[in-house]
Amino acid sequence: MTSPLIRIRGLTKHYQMGGTVVRALDGVDLDIEAHTFTVVMGPSGSGKSSLLYLLGGLDRSTSGEISINGERLDQMDENALALFRRRTMGFIFQSYNLITSMDALENVAFPMQFSGISVAERKEKSGKLLEQVGLSDRSHHRPSELSGGQQQRVAVARALVNNPSLILADEPTGNLDTLSGVAVMQLLSDLHRSGRTVLVVTHDPRMTRFATHKIFLLDCHVVSEDEYKSATMEMALTGNES
Amino acid sequence: MKFLDLFRLIFGNLSRRKARVALTAIGVVIGTAAVVILVSLAIGLQKSATDQLYGIGDLTQIDVMPTYGGGFGGGGGPMMAVAIGPGGDKTQLDQPVLLTNSALKQLRDIPGVKVVIPRDYLNANVMVRYQRLEGGMNFIGIATDDLSNLGLEASQGVTTLSKASIVIGSMASNNFYDPHLRPGQEPPPPPDLMDQQIQLVVIKWDQNGNETRKTLSLRVAGILKETGGEPDYSVYLPLELTKSLNEWANGIRINYNKDGYSQVIVKVEDANQALDIADQITAMGFQAITPQSYLQGINSFFVVLQVIFGGVGAIALLVAAIGIANTMAMSILERTREIGLMKAVGATNRDVLSIFLGEAAGIGFIGGLGGIVIGWLAAQGMNVLAIVYLAGQASQQGGPPPSVAVYTPIWLPVFALIFSTLIGMLSGLYPALRAATMIPVNALKYE
Repeated sequence: MTSPLIRIRGLTKHYQMGGTVVRALDGVDLDIEAHTFTVVMGPSGSGKSSLLYLLGGLDRSTSGEISINGERLDQMDENALALFRRRTMGFIFQSYNLITSMDALENVAFPMQFSGISVAERKEKSGKLLEQVGLSDRSHHRPSELSGGQQQRVAVARALVNNPSLILADEPTGNLDTLSGVAVMQLLSDLHRSGRTVLVVTHDPRMTRFATHKIFLLDCHVVSEDEYKSATMEMALTGNES
Repeated sequence: MKFLDLFRLIFGNLSRRKARVALTAIGVVIGTAAVVILVSLAIGLQKSATDQLYGIGDLTQIDVMPTYGGGFGGGGGPMMAVAIGPGGDKTQLDQPVLLTNSALKQLRDIPGVKVVIPRDYLNANVMVRYQRLEGGMNFIGIATDDLSNLGLEASQGVTTLSKASIVIGSMASNNFYDPHLRPGQEPPPPPDLMDQQIQLVVIKWDQNGNETRKTLSLRVAGILKETGGEPDYSVYLPLELTKSLNEWANGIRINYNKDGYSQVIVKVEDANQALDIADQITAMGFQAITPQSYLQGINSFFVVLQVIFGGVGAIALLVAAIGIANTMAMSILERTREIGLMKAVGATNRDVLSIFLGEAAGIGFIGGLGGIVIGWLAAQGMNVLAIVYLAGQASQQGGPPPSVAVYTPIWLPVFALIFSTLIGMLSGLYPALRAATMIPVNALKYE
C-alpha cells in the first residue's frame, strides 16, 4: 500500500475575530492520493478555502498535521515553505491575481524570477505555456485587454511555469461565465491527465463531473456525499446556507 | 533570486510608477543638492583660506619664543610657565626656558634643522625720513648677513645686510607720506628707495619729558620680492644694530647670553618635518609656532563647518526620507495582493524584503543622482559669481584674488550618492519589513 500524496490529521484552524473565535476547520482528517483530480465542495464558510490555503502553506494551522510527499508543512519555517511552494505547487485564484502592469507573457514568467531561470528560458517556457492554454496570440496583451476566461487561462499557465506536481485552485470558475468556467475546468482536467495532482475548491456542483475524487466540507468537518446532499437540500429549503 | 533579476524587477516596478517616483525623488534631489552645495562651499572656503595661508607663511619656518615663568607679578608664587605646542598641548614648567646661545645650539642639533637665526624687533619710537617724506615701518633685527637664509629673495639689489645697509620689503615704501601736504593736494607716489639713503630717527624722552633724538643714515641695498606676509611691510637690519638701538632707546643693557633672544627663526630642511620638529622644540620647553599649526587649527574649524553645513543638508534629506517612507508604505498597501502572489509563487521573505528595500534605495539613488547634477551645477555657478565678486574686492584692497570659492572634490558626489541611497533604503526598511512578514493568505485576500 502506497502512502497518500497529501495526509492531513486533526487539522484545526481557528481565527480570532475581535473578541470571538471563529472556527474554520475542526479536526479534519484527510488523505489525497497522487495523480487524482479532487474537488472540495462546500457552502460558504464551510472551511474549504481555509483547507486549500493551509495545504498550500499560505496560512498556518492552529493545530494538526499536514504532510505532502512525506514533508511536514506545519513544521516548516517561512523560508522552507516558500521554497517548497516554488518547486511543488501551482496556485490558481478566483480573482486571477495577475499583475495589471505586466502583459500575459510577463505574468506567466513572473514566478520564474525567483527560481534563477535565465531570461531566454523564461520567455521560451512562458510562450509555450501560453500556446498550451490557447493564448499565444495574446501574449503581449495586458490583463485589462483580456476577458475573464482568458485571464484565468493566463493564471493557469502561470501556475504551471515551475512545473509543479500539485495544482491548487481556489474557486477558479467563480468569476467566469459557464462556458469559460467549463473551458478552465477542461484545462485543469487536461493537467490531471498529464500526471499532475489537481485539487479544486468550488461550491459549483457542475464542476464535480471533472473530478476523480470528491471531498465534502460542512461546518468545518469532512462529511459524506449523502450527508452533504441532505444538508444542502435542507439549506435550500430553509434558505439558510450555513 | 539572482541580483540581476532583482535589479530588473526593481527597475521595472519603479518605471511602472514614474510620476510618484519622480515626486518622491524631488525631495531627495533637494536634500542631496543642499548637501553638495553647502559642503562644497565649506571646502571651498577652507581651500581658499589655506591657499592664502600657504602664500603668507613659509612652511619650512618655525618661530620659536622663550617661555617665561608664570609667576610674573604673582606675589612670590612658584615660577611656573606653560609651553603651548602646535597641537595645543600644554606643559607645566617650573622655571623660565630662555633662548640663550646654548639653547640655540640645542636647536641646531635637532635633526632636520637647517639654520637657526635669532631676531628681534626694534622697540622704540622710530621715524623714517626720505627727502621731504616721513614714514613708520616695522624694523626687524636679524642675526644673519644674508636674508636668503630665510628663504627671501630680492626683486632689486641684494639680500645681504651690512652695518650701514638695510633691505626693505616690497610694500615698505608705501608707508611714506608728505607731512607738508596741504588739504586737497595729491599725495606723492611711493618713492623708489633702491640704493637711496634713508634716515632712521629714534626718539626717546627722559623723565622730565625732554626729547632726545638719534639719527642714522642707512642705504637701501635691496628690495624683497612680494611674499604676501610680514616681510612685505618690514625693514631688515643687522641684529647688533637693533640691539644697540633698543638699549639706547630703553636705557637698558641687553645680554643675549643671560636673558636670551626674544625670538628665533628655525628653518627646517623639509616642510613635512616642520610640525614634528616644532613638537620637539615644544618638548624642550619653548613656544614653537609654524604656519602648519595655524593650518591645523583652520582645518579643524573648517571640518566643523563642513559637518554643520552637511548637517543642514542632511535635514533636508531627512525630510525627503519621510517622503520615501510614506511612498513605500502607500505602495505596499496598494500592492498587498501582489505581495501575496509573490509569496504564493515561491518568493521568500528575503526576496520580498530585497525588492521593496531596493525600490526605496532606487528612489534615493535617482534623487541622489539628480541632486548631484543640480548641486554641482549650482556650485559651479556660485563659484563663478563668487570669484568675480571676490576678485573685485581683492583688487580694491590689494590682496591676492582667490583661485576658488566653491570646491566640489570627487569624493563628495560619490559620498552624497551613497548617502542618499542609504537614506532611501533606511526609510524603506519599515515598510519593506512589513511587506516581507505579511501572512500570504492575508495579503492575497486583501481588499
